[in-house]
Amino acid sequence: MKEKFSRDIIKLKDIDKTINDICSKLKQDVHQVLKRRGGVIGVSGGIDSSVTLALATKAFGSENLLGVMLPEKDSSPDSKEFAQKLTSKFGVKVIEENISGALDGFKCYQRRDEAVKRVIPEFNPLTDKMKIVIPEELIRKNLPPVFHVTVIFADGSQKSERLPMNEYLQIVAASNFKQRSRMSMLYYHAEALHYAVIGTPNKHEVEQGFFVKYGDGGADVMPIGNLFKTQVYEIARYLGVPQEIIDRTPTTDTYSAEQTQEEFFYQMPFEDMDLLWYGWENGYTASEVAPAMNLSEEAVIKIFKNFERKKKTTDYLRRPPIHDYPC
Amino acid sequence: MKDKIKEFIAETTFTDVNSFNDDTMIFDEGIFDSMGLLGLINFLESEFGIVTDDTELQEENFGSVERIADFVGRKMSLAS
Repeated sequence: MKEKFSRDIIKLKDIDKTINDICSKLKQDVHQVLKRRGGVIGVSGGIDSSVTLALATKAFGSENLLGVMLPEKDSSPDSKEFAQKLTSKFGVKVIEENISGALDGFKCYQRRDEAVKRVIPEFNPLTDKMKIVIPEELIRKNLPPVFHVTVIFADGSQKSERLPMNEYLQIVAASNFKQRSRMSMLYYHAEALHYAVIGTPNKHEVEQGFFVKYGDGGADVMPIGNLFKTQVYEIARYLGVPQEIIDRTPTTDTYSAEQTQEEFFYQMPFEDMDLLWYGWENGYTASEVAPAMNLSEEAVIKIFKNFERKKKTTDYLRRPPIHDYPC
Repeated sequence: MKDKIKEFIAETTFTDVNSFNDDTMIFDEGIFDSMGLLGLINFLESEFGIVTDDTELQEENFGSVERIADFVGRKMSLAS
């Protein structure tokens, strides 16, 4: 029988068992299926890569892991500090590979900034910062999000404009060089050590398509791929991930101006999204979910439709190359 | 006008024009996504001279071919 929907429904009932189950599958997958002797993890100082590293340490022992920090020009300096604290806490060797040079080679920044300047000609990439956001007034209109570019000028003033299609596509395509360059570097180290690349996306990222195909979506295993964000936090606290990392607001760390994951993609707080997604995925009706969420049934129906649409429209990202062609 | 909008949607989504009706909810059905909406905004501007404000990006105005046509009609009559 289905458990009554409540705000506690996704709380991990037996955290020890969940952790042990994940670790034993991770070990089995890497050693027995992939035949690799350890793992490489890109550490960003964020909660997901931190929990992934903590779990992998439990599975393989710190001596069979390598943490790789992959900063670039737009990365927050905090990321490095947090990543170092994390790897030192778990005794994992960490190296730094700055990918700014590779990104310059790809003209990542140049291609992105050209598109921004076509929309906001006053943008000066040398002095100003930029990010992509979904404006507050467009959230929950039951339409797919339309993105704006926001430029924060050196004097602190801001300008925001809706992105036309070509400029939006160019900015995203250029920015995706970052995740794809990181993936290349992680595979370099993984192959050099005969390790597997341990990916860090959580359940929402995988299922709502909040990852870059062959970028952060390019990995051999994704041990937290079935965990809701609030469950990731539960495990973080249990395994002793440093408090500063737990307290940090999740950002994309992709654009020069700081951008939260909520304003870029999810459009609602994680605590709510986890529960609503669970309700939708497990066939709870809007009338069962609405009271616990303090929302109207109509609002829940809209959110469920939005989830359905997101899953459908991001199928492309999860799809492997199609190779079943006739011979 | 509805036919032009339907043709645009069918062409840009590689969908058979007969596979959806005037009242089909094009976003709910997964026919159109973010890119589709952005393309549609451009199309309405170039085809009908309609400039869409952010506040108008609502399901009531963009949910189906019928609603888009009504929205364009309203905007055009306001402009004239």
